[in-house]
Amino acid sequence: MHRIFSFFLFALLSLNFASASSVYHEQLVLQPLPLSALLASFNFRSSTALSAFEAHNFRFFPRSLGQILQHADTRELHLRFTLGRWDAESWGARPWDGAREGGTGVELWAWLEAETDEEADQKWLTLTNALSGLFCASLNFIDGTRTTRPVMSFQPEGDHPNSTVNNMHLLYGVLPHEVVCTENLTPFLKLLPCKSKAGIATLLDGHKLFDASWQSMAIDVRPVCPDGQGCRLEIEQTIDMVLDIERSKRPRDNPIPRPAPGHELKCDTSKPYHADDTCFPADYSTSQDWSLSQLFGKTIERPCPLTDPGVPPVCLNVPDSRTVFVSHGVVEKKNPDGMSRCFDIPPEVDFNLSLPGPEQKEGEEGNGQIEVTSDLVKSKTPLLYAERSFTGHGQERGGVQTMLRNPSPDNEVEFIYMESLPWFMRIYLHTMDARIEGSYGHNSSNSLIEEVYYRPALDRARGTQLEVRMRIPPASTVFLTYDFEKSILRYTEYPPDANRGFDVAAAVITILNSDKSSPRFAAYNLRTTSLLCSLPTPDFSMPYNVIIFTSTAIALAFGGMFNILVRRFVAADEGPESNLKAAGQRLKGRLATLFERLRNKRAGVVAEKQPAPAPQ
Amino acid sequence: MPSTNAVSFNTSRVRSYVFRLPLFTRAVIIAIVAFWVIGVQSLWDVRTWGALIPDEIGITTLYRLNTFPFIHLNAFHAIMNILALTPLMERFEAEHGTLTSLALFFGPLTTIPSFIYLFVEKFVLRSNTSVMGASMWVFLLLGMEAIRTYKVNPYLVVATHNIPTWTTPIALLLCVAALVPSSSFLGHLSGLVVGYICGLGYLKFLAPPEKILRWVESKVNIFGRLPYYVNMDQKTYGRFGVLPSSGGSPIGGPTTAKGVVGTGALRLRRDPRILKLPPYLSLLCILVGVVWLFLLPLDDYSRRTYISENALLPGQVHTYFGGSDQNVFRAYKHEVNALVGKSNIECWLTGLCWSRINDKLESIVKGLGLKAGRQNFTYSAAGLVYSGENVYAILQAPRGDATEAIVLVAAWENVKQELNRNGVALALTLARYFKRWSLWSKDIVFLVTPDSIAGPQAWVDAYHDAHDSSRVDSLPLKSGALQGAIAIDYSQESRFESVHIVYDGVNGQLPNLDLINSVVSIAGGQMGMGVALQEMWHHNDQYPDRLRTMLRGMLKQGLGLASGPHSSFIPYHVDAVTLQPFGDGWQDEMAMGRVIEGTFRSLNNLLEHLHQSFFFYLLMQRERFVSIGTYLPSAMLVAINFTIMAIALWVKSGQPESTPAKAADGAEAAGETVTKLNTSTPAVERELFLPLGVVTICQFLAVIPLYLFNHAPENMLTPAFVIFAVFNAVLPHALSSVLTNYYAPSAQQYQLIKSFSLLLLGMFLASLATLNFSLALLVGLLASPLTFMRPWPQSPVLRAACTVLLNTVSPTAILVASAAYWRLDVGAILREVAFAWHVCGMNSPVVVWCVWWPAWLAGSISVLGKSEETKKKTSTVATVKTKAL
Repeated sequence: MHRIFSFFLFALLSLNFASASSVYHEQLVLQPLPLSALLASFNFRSSTALSAFEAHNFRFFPRSLGQILQHADTRELHLRFTLGRWDAESWGARPWDGAREGGTGVELWAWLEAETDEEADQKWLTLTNALSGLFCASLNFIDGTRTTRPVMSFQPEGDHPNSTVNNMHLLYGVLPHEVVCTENLTPFLKLLPCKSKAGIATLLDGHKLFDASWQSMAIDVRPVCPDGQGCRLEIEQTIDMVLDIERSKRPRDNPIPRPAPGHELKCDTSKPYHADDTCFPADYSTSQDWSLSQLFGKTIERPCPLTDPGVPPVCLNVPDSRTVFVSHGVVEKKNPDGMSRCFDIPPEVDFNLSLPGPEQKEGEEGNGQIEVTSDLVKSKTPLLYAERSFTGHGQERGGVQTMLRNPSPDNEVEFIYMESLPWFMRIYLHTMDARIEGSYGHNSSNSLIEEVYYRPALDRARGTQLEVRMRIPPASTVFLTYDFEKSILRYTEYPPDANRGFDVAAAVITILNSDKSSPRFAAYNLRTTSLLCSLPTPDFSMPYNVIIFTSTAIALAFGGMFNILVRRFVAADEGPESNLKAAGQRLKGRLATLFERLRNKRAGVVAEKQPAPAPQ
Repeated sequence: MPSTNAVSFNTSRVRSYVFRLPLFTRAVIIAIVAFWVIGVQSLWDVRTWGALIPDEIGITTLYRLNTFPFIHLNAFHAIMNILALTPLMERFEAEHGTLTSLALFFGPLTTIPSFIYLFVEKFVLRSNTSVMGASMWVFLLLGMEAIRTYKVNPYLVVATHNIPTWTTPIALLLCVAALVPSSSFLGHLSGLVVGYICGLGYLKFLAPPEKILRWVESKVNIFGRLPYYVNMDQKTYGRFGVLPSSGGSPIGGPTTAKGVVGTGALRLRRDPRILKLPPYLSLLCILVGVVWLFLLPLDDYSRRTYISENALLPGQVHTYFGGSDQNVFRAYKHEVNALVGKSNIECWLTGLCWSRINDKLESIVKGLGLKAGRQNFTYSAAGLVYSGENVYAILQAPRGDATEAIVLVAAWENVKQELNRNGVALALTLARYFKRWSLWSKDIVFLVTPDSIAGPQAWVDAYHDAHDSSRVDSLPLKSGALQGAIAIDYSQESRFESVHIVYDGVNGQLPNLDLINSVVSIAGGQMGMGVALQEMWHHNDQYPDRLRTMLRGMLKQGLGLASGPHSSFIPYHVDAVTLQPFGDGWQDEMAMGRVIEGTFRSLNNLLEHLHQSFFFYLLMQRERFVSIGTYLPSAMLVAINFTIMAIALWVKSGQPESTPAKAADGAEAAGETVTKLNTSTPAVERELFLPLGVVTICQFLAVIPLYLFNHAPENMLTPAFVIFAVFNAVLPHALSSVLTNYYAPSAQQYQLIKSFSLLLLGMFLASLATLNFSLALLVGLLASPLTFMRPWPQSPVLRAACTVLLNTVSPTAILVASAAYWRLDVGAILREVAFAWHVCGMNSPVVVWCVWWPAWLAGSISVLGKSEETKKKTSTVATVKTKAL
């Protein structure tokens, strides 16, 4: 009796504890960008007490993921699915300062607790294979050749006790060729407490998400220990997407961009030649009006009941001067900075939002760029622009050139540039050079590059890892270049689409926080685009040629030598007569007998005239 | 020995051979087959039981030393070994008797090699590779046979080298090790070594003594009753190591036998008629080459084109360009027309006005939401400066990652310096239209260049970082790997009827045939407009039109000039074509736009770089082509004619003049022995220094025209050409007189001069034929008279005729003639060539001046040659006679 009672008490206590300690909230931030784009940034965050997690008591924390993490002794996990590219020139700084995005494809890095490197590798294998199944991605292809152990670029985001920090191993794997699609979104949504049934997640639909100009899905799991409270395990799921407003507004049943009827074209009427049949288009000069239901094809079907009511589920970053229409019953709260507003949705209310275009000013002239900016919240300038491309041509060697531009007029930027290259790109480290645009010579590179960590590739075993700590002076552009050699793969190592080329993962740039007081390690993260490296590719009819060649060689060698070895030479007069001669002889003999017979016959005829001899 | 003397394959003989196989050989074959059959089942792994595995060898497992030859990896292995082993084993048994074979092959001949193998493998190499199979025996027996053959017939004569016959099994060993997977080199080697030792007779003591064998045979009667048993009396040879005699008959001397075999070829080789053959053979090669070319347009020799890359799916999508896009097009056309007046030539040179045009274009594309960049370039050629500024815009693929890109080029002026108004306006309209689609998997680059050759060249060079950064700017913006390019050349103002596809690249390089086929299929099949190639505006698909199209294509390919904005892309393995509307029809600009849209949709479908179809082809109609395998023999035959003649001259120069033949005419009655003696006299010493020197000087002189015509300023080109033409006419005479006066070359040296120059020519042209077929064929045909040129010391008339003929086919004369035929100015041609040389890297001048011209010069010198033959003849005859006697 006593035992039963204590069990109940325990259960009750733990339930209470869990309900008190589990927190979940979600938020959608919408920000119109220049050139009729819209950034929609979904954030879902839930956490559970670490002690409850260790007792297998998951509440808002997804059980499927939690068990994998426990099984693989993972202390911190970051998983990214990214598609497209962020247009920093027009859109400005990245959302979350680039901390919630990866390079094209799938990126995974995690801190695992293990005694030795081998044990860490073993657990990493377990983790990638389990995540591969969970997210329907080819994460199991992150093998030794695609795994690196970054030294400088990453720091744990969570608070880890000192006892585990010493045994934590950071492993980083990337799959640049992985195409992110709907099958990755579905398991992602299943991790949410409200799934996609209620709340802002109802807007997430594969058709819209993967039609976006840029989109990134991120999962971050980390322990956080606020002062004076118990440690908690926090999972943050983020989806950022940039929608092309015009493309998204197209109805789903008629997605083909047929030319609009002539009278619907937006023309620049100020042109002297403007006429009914002549129209200088003015499409992109104005930011367009849109509503949530137009862009996403649906409205938010009532808020998720589990979410923390203190956090407004939807925010919109537009200046206060613009009017916004929302569904009935929704409370609008303007932020004091005058550049954003948030909306509280009462339960059981479907939320829609509509942003009409800015009021047209009469007599507008030119391209209208000036007026667009006043209607939008100007996004921050990124700390660094980076663009990476291949140089050279041909199938033997190549080069990589990364253009890094510091736009700031007075601050220098210190960052770590990390490349994890496949083993078949053998880089020449001595050719690595950084020069400031406009200057030639090597003295500049010494001052730019501060530290290099290089781990050379082993054929078929591991890739190249290159981490460079650099410092770029204000308002300057630096070219970081290095050369590499393309190696020839074995015949069976080519994929079926060998002539497409081989994807090279994005370079990871981590800008270090110059503010030493801030606990954050990185001030800004960005990734370059991935590259397509074409290797020397054989003509795949080669095996056929090889078989033919080998057979011929064997036939000639074996046949010929065997013949020489086994044959005995004899003098011509000793051997049998050659066929031709024999045939001639035979023919001669035949003719002779024929002749004989003829002669005999004639003789016989002559003889017949004589009395025939009596038959015997 | 039935097998060895078998001349032809005969089933009855094989059957009788198989039926008469001696006992031990049979037993071995049966054992091998039996073990293979046992190996088929999976219950008992016979291979691990019986193979020779170094680590498994112990006292109880010594049986492996004897079992491993019977066990094979698979049926193929077993069959191969049986085929190789049977004749060898049969002979061994026939020579030594069944009992000896049994004793030896179950004793020393198996165990010794296996011990050698075990020792080396286990203690030297320290590895553990298991071996099995009878191939060790094969090599052992081959080694024995080789030693015996060596004793009878020590050398194989290949050319002038004597190869000892005992090395043949080693060659075979290496061959097998290299070609047969998982064969044990060491195992074979140990077998072979023991075979050699055995063959040399050092293992005689191991064979059981004959006395004992006879005693055994007499005691054990059963042997005599066994079928196919070879007893001690039947065996062919006595003891081990005794030299064999052939098949029971006394030995006929091997040398005479060889002589019998060799005489046929030798007699043919020494036949004087052989040396008369090469000129006719050369002529035949040229004729066959030309006829071959003219056969190509026939249905039987050319093929219909087809789409090889399935991903392209040309013409499978609806194209939507049109409707209100036409209104936009008209507006852009107005904008372009407004810019036309500004591009006057003075501004063109300063480069300032260019920026005004590009300012406007850049503002338009930026208004469409594209990224724009600009690039300045300056080229100089023939004293002229070509400069300008390219402007380009990148439409980033909506969901793409800057890994791949396709290019749409609209040059402001086409190659004929006509303004490409419609083309530029169409490119802008298409940029706006393409921006609306979300399906692009590759970035699209829109490039507007001031001219059609230098601008695209500068852009492509800079895109691949192959530019000279002092003259050409680097690109501020880049995208991914270029997968294809389409250029629009649309200067025609009225409506058009058909599309003309221009596809020739620099240096005769061509784009992938799939690209052309896609355009043909989209324009011709889907849009229903005509498609023309090589300016054949009307093509009836009959033989004359096909031939004309093909010859025009070959001429363009041979010249190697850039034919449009697309040409610059092809050297970088970016497949590109230019599309030109032509004719009077009812197709408007929107139809042209739809053709480009369809082509871009096809290119967008590509998963891999275009690689499937042909890169070497001749098109003779839009749907008919020949590929390299079919047309290459034509140019190769023409090139080979020079090589044949060169070899013939080399051989001839090594033989004493034509006197022996003449002498033989008189002395024929004296009998064959005399001629035989004559022909077998050693070759005449060749004096190589002078001929080599002359040919080298001719080659070096080629630098003069090459440098002159590529670096002379424009106004000096025509005078320079006239001076060079005169110099060219005089040069052979001058060189020839210098030669005859100072060096007095003999007829042999003239032959050698010609031989070397023809050898070089043939070599160069044969290699060129694989790169630029048409150029090799053109030069080969124009140089073909050189094959038949020779000195005419006795006949001034013939010499003059030959000189005139050579001067009409000299490079300069051909240049003047073609300029007159096409009504062009020679100076203008040379200016174009210099421009192409400096800007596009065209290499035809190298072929003309460094391959063709030196050969022509050497040919002219040899025609004008006056050897001191009459004087020398007597003396040479005298020397020859003394040598002969």
